[in-house]
Amino acid sequence: MRPEIKEYNYDWLMGHAVAAAAKVPAGMQKETELTLRYIPNFRGVAESFINAGPPGIQFMGLLAKYYENILAARDQGKMIVGTTFCNTPAILYAMDIVPATFEVLTAIGCLIWKRGMFDYMDYCCEVGMPETSCSSQRGFLGAYLAGLCEKIDFVICDTPGVCDTNANAFAFASAYLDKPFFQLNYPSSIGDDRSQTYHIDDYKAMIRFIEKQCGKKLDYDRLAEILKEIDKQDALTADMEDMLMLVPTPIPPIFNVIIYASRFCFAGHKIYTEILETMVETSKQRVAAGVPGSASGEEKLRAFMCYIDHYTVDMNFYDYLEERGVAHTGSILTRNFRDDNKYVQDLEGSSYGIDTSTPDAMLDSIAQMNARYPMVRSIRGPYDKHGMWLEESLALAKMYNADCILYNGTPGCRNTWGMIKPFARDMEKYGYPTHIMNDDAFDDRVESWDATKERLDEFFHVRGLL
Amino acid sequence: MNIFAGCDVGSLTAKAVIMKNNRIIGSSIIKSKPRPKDSADAAFHEALSDAGVSEDEIKYCIGTGYGREKIEFVDEVVSEITCHGKGARWMLPTAETVIDIGGQDCKTMKIDKDGNVGRFSANDKCASGTGRFLEVMAKVLNVGIDELGRLSQKAKDPITLASTCTVWAQADVIKYINSGVPIEDIGAGINSAMAARVAILVNAVKPEGDIFMTGGVAKNVGVVSTLEKLIGKRIKRARKADPQIAGAIGAALLSMEKVNGKMAA
Amino acid sequence: MKIFNDAATQVQCESITQWKKEGKPVVGYTCSYAPAEIFYAADILPVRLRGIETEGMEVADTYFGPFICSFPKCILQLAGKGKFSFLDGAIITPGCDGMRRLDECWRKAGEDFDGIVPDYFYYFDVPHKSENHGMAWYIEEVKELIKSLENHFNVSITNEKLKTAIKVFNKGRRILKEIEDLRGKDDVVVSGTDVFAATVAGTVIPRDEYTKELKKWATALKKRKTSLSKEKKRVMLVGSVSDEIDLFQLIENTDKAIIVGENLCFGIRYQGNEISEDGDPLESLAAHYLGASVCPRMFGKYKERLKILKDRIDHTKAEGVIMQNIRFCDLHGAENALFERDLEAIGIPCLRVEREYGPHIDAGRMKLRINAFLERIDAKSDQKSTEPLSVSA
Repeated sequence: MRPEIKEYNYDWLMGHAVAAAAKVPAGMQKETELTLRYIPNFRGVAESFINAGPPGIQFMGLLAKYYENILAARDQGKMIVGTTFCNTPAILYAMDIVPATFEVLTAIGCLIWKRGMFDYMDYCCEVGMPETSCSSQRGFLGAYLAGLCEKIDFVICDTPGVCDTNANAFAFASAYLDKPFFQLNYPSSIGDDRSQTYHIDDYKAMIRFIEKQCGKKLDYDRLAEILKEIDKQDALTADMEDMLMLVPTPIPPIFNVIIYASRFCFAGHKIYTEILETMVETSKQRVAAGVPGSASGEEKLRAFMCYIDHYTVDMNFYDYLEERGVAHTGSILTRNFRDDNKYVQDLEGSSYGIDTSTPDAMLDSIAQMNARYPMVRSIRGPYDKHGMWLEESLALAKMYNADCILYNGTPGCRNTWGMIKPFARDMEKYGYPTHIMNDDAFDDRVESWDATKERLDEFFHVRGLL
Repeated sequence: MNIFAGCDVGSLTAKAVIMKNNRIIGSSIIKSKPRPKDSADAAFHEALSDAGVSEDEIKYCIGTGYGREKIEFVDEVVSEITCHGKGARWMLPTAETVIDIGGQDCKTMKIDKDGNVGRFSANDKCASGTGRFLEVMAKVLNVGIDELGRLSQKAKDPITLASTCTVWAQADVIKYINSGVPIEDIGAGINSAMAARVAILVNAVKPEGDIFMTGGVAKNVGVVSTLEKLIGKRIKRARKADPQIAGAIGAALLSMEKVNGKMAA
Repeated sequence: MKIFNDAATQVQCESITQWKKEGKPVVGYTCSYAPAEIFYAADILPVRLRGIETEGMEVADTYFGPFICSFPKCILQLAGKGKFSFLDGAIITPGCDGMRRLDECWRKAGEDFDGIVPDYFYYFDVPHKSENHGMAWYIEEVKELIKSLENHFNVSITNEKLKTAIKVFNKGRRILKEIEDLRGKDDVVVSGTDVFAATVAGTVIPRDEYTKELKKWATALKKRKTSLSKEKKRVMLVGSVSDEIDLFQLIENTDKAIIVGENLCFGIRYQGNEISEDGDPLESLAAHYLGASVCPRMFGKYKERLKILKDRIDHTKAEGVIMQNIRFCDLHGAENALFERDLEAIGIPCLRVEREYGPHIDAGRMKLRINAFLERIDAKSDQKSTEPLSVSA
């Protein structure tokens, strides 16, 4: 890592950048325009969110709050835990612990750091992590391993059995810095009694571990409040999902990232509920006015992202979809698999419900919900088995009237790259033109955005989609 | 006569050095031929004639480099990592960290006062941090490998090369050429991309003391100056000899040690 | 030794052919978590699947993506080429992301290449933790596997048969342990290549025959006098899965090194430990195969594994450790970096190197690094021997 980069506390740097950006839209339009000139490096990102309207502006506030929590944790006597996006932070909030979610923090860095997260990613390699390991953790992890972040008290991940490469990054962080570690581990199946029981046993073990680390018991009243809030959030998300199904959809591509990033940061918190409420409101207004979500004013194509989105530099990907008039009907990260959602009705055993009547019911709810977080739910077992990736993608693609399927991931994703070719072939058999993007969602050095864009255009053109 | 030789047969070039009393009396650098044996013979004989000595006068000769197993005239073979460490310390007696970028390989090593290699790290199987990467890119730009290094100094707005994978990068470079980006800016981007790859390896061994660079890429000012920025330390130059022949020098020094013992060297 | 070498270097060795001639079934498995004893109990030959003898990668590349370790790809390539036609069954384990996707890729390749998927194709789900519910899950999984084998192959696997199997396997484990002890002596009489070939052979040859041959060999070894370790550096080889005799040869053929121990998926780390012969056989098998696993897929157990490695280094008097990982094997790649950091800190030289598997290994590149590493250990031991002199001077 170049020495001057080590001079800056990464969390502080990002936290203040995000906080400042969140304040930009607070002024008059002229003031906002003027201020944007002074933030050339992340002007692109800030503009994308500001242009997304109130939900985008609220989302910038949410990111600022997320960083504020991390930066203030020490002073407030709170512990910080390093964790992964597919592990619900609800349980941590119920125990007054601040989550530092590696993938979210990497994505934020990718969006606003001028050169991308290269320096930090490469630092991980300097200390010995293979360069082939997943970039989604390597960005933030590099800053953290270099000692440029707030200290993490312990590490929790829930990806062993789902994505071993992801789990490995957390295990490495824990061993490298000698921090206590807990892994939630998932079997390769879902929905059957054995798996359901395992989810709960394992989740209980995690709670015992957390209680031991912070020296206090889980407060079930607090957990009940948080779960009730999640209940509300899930219902609002379901409303959004309903509107995503409309042709044309009133939901702009960027709303997708706001839905899931907010969930990963603040599930169970009012701040997330408020964003969802604004999004539902905005979208309903668009429906009423007959305005599609896409800025181009026309919905030419409906794409379903069967995995994740593309996050490097300046929200390029979302802007590209807008420009081309491509509706983003969500990715694997957007769905929540709550049991009254439309798309889960045909997917037996795939959903969870929230019951706050007793502590046991709550534990059951949160454990089963966590087991249905993105990736954890459907990437665990063979892709063509019941409840897994193919079944889920087909159900969703059908429900959302998708015209085509796009796969985007990272070369570090051993898991999906191990099955994407036959998966794509199967999707094609079912009639969905499927494009495998070769880039890295977090690292432009693997394939430049220009090249990615050209390949996307080529796919849309050759398959007669656009 | 106390005359010793070292012969370093690499994938891109072959080098030979003839030494007497700890001084270089003859050397050569030639482009590698398809067969390593032929490269070795040609480099060795060119160095012999440069020194004005005959093959019989050589007391001991060590071979190194990729083609070392195929050299017939050597008495012993030693790995190029060991040779480069030895040669580097001779060229810069204060060197503690050595970066060597060869045609197919890039290595960083820590050395002790005798030039013995301690911890080292070498690139993975990819060509992206190696001389081969620069060679391929120079070809695409249609410039000489030496000229490529100097392009960095003329660049006004260097491009950021997205990929450091030789294949991907080549495609990107062609695109930049076609879209009319000045060749200096592309060249500078190539050198920076290369330096970024190498910096990971260098930082991995935690460089200490004086840093010295050997191998042909040490002559590429663009790579070296960017690398200095990335690792935050100066890379020392030595005028004693061409950094490209450090491996061959090390091999000759080891020949000398072999016969005379360490003190003599 | 010949029988071991043949078994270790051929996908379908003579003993597999013989076994098939008797009309008995052969089941392949992909990972060290599959307890070979239960197959023995059913008179099925368990054969650990390997990727040696691979030529080309066109079949594997059709199904696996580009960022996948070459070990599962080589297995798929061989399957696609019909090299596993002797299999009556195959068991896939989620050892890591790459290995567990062999399940889909192999089945899907079967849609394009007739007859390459054995009739019995089973997914054996192994958890990543061995505490309480993890252990319970594994035992349950073994029971399911037994049931499914019984149904498909029309056999009966009783607890009594399992107990016998454990005893039979333990005999071999004990002999391997004796051989392991020979490698820790000052004068080592057996090459690492030979021991490894004998170990790998144990994953292929029918167990009774194997134990008999192993015993003969061990007896002969104990009588050997000629030291193979003189003037050579004692090294350990650890890291990604390996069954490659040529990798061992590559190191030992430098004539500068002898491999005195390894910590590899096919190596003695498993075969050496005995399994409890008392109590419930399923619990004993689980305690061994899951509970004693030292694979980095058991996340969060780095310190335990470091201790095991340090003990092995002490036991074998290794002077250096060669740590390899197959490209895209993040688990071993990352763990090797931690091992390197912690072992170098206590003065044990380490070489960390990334490579491709088996026939795709770049021997020249590997050799260069290994030679330089051995020269490094050499320079270090030279210094050690001169240091006291310079102090007294």
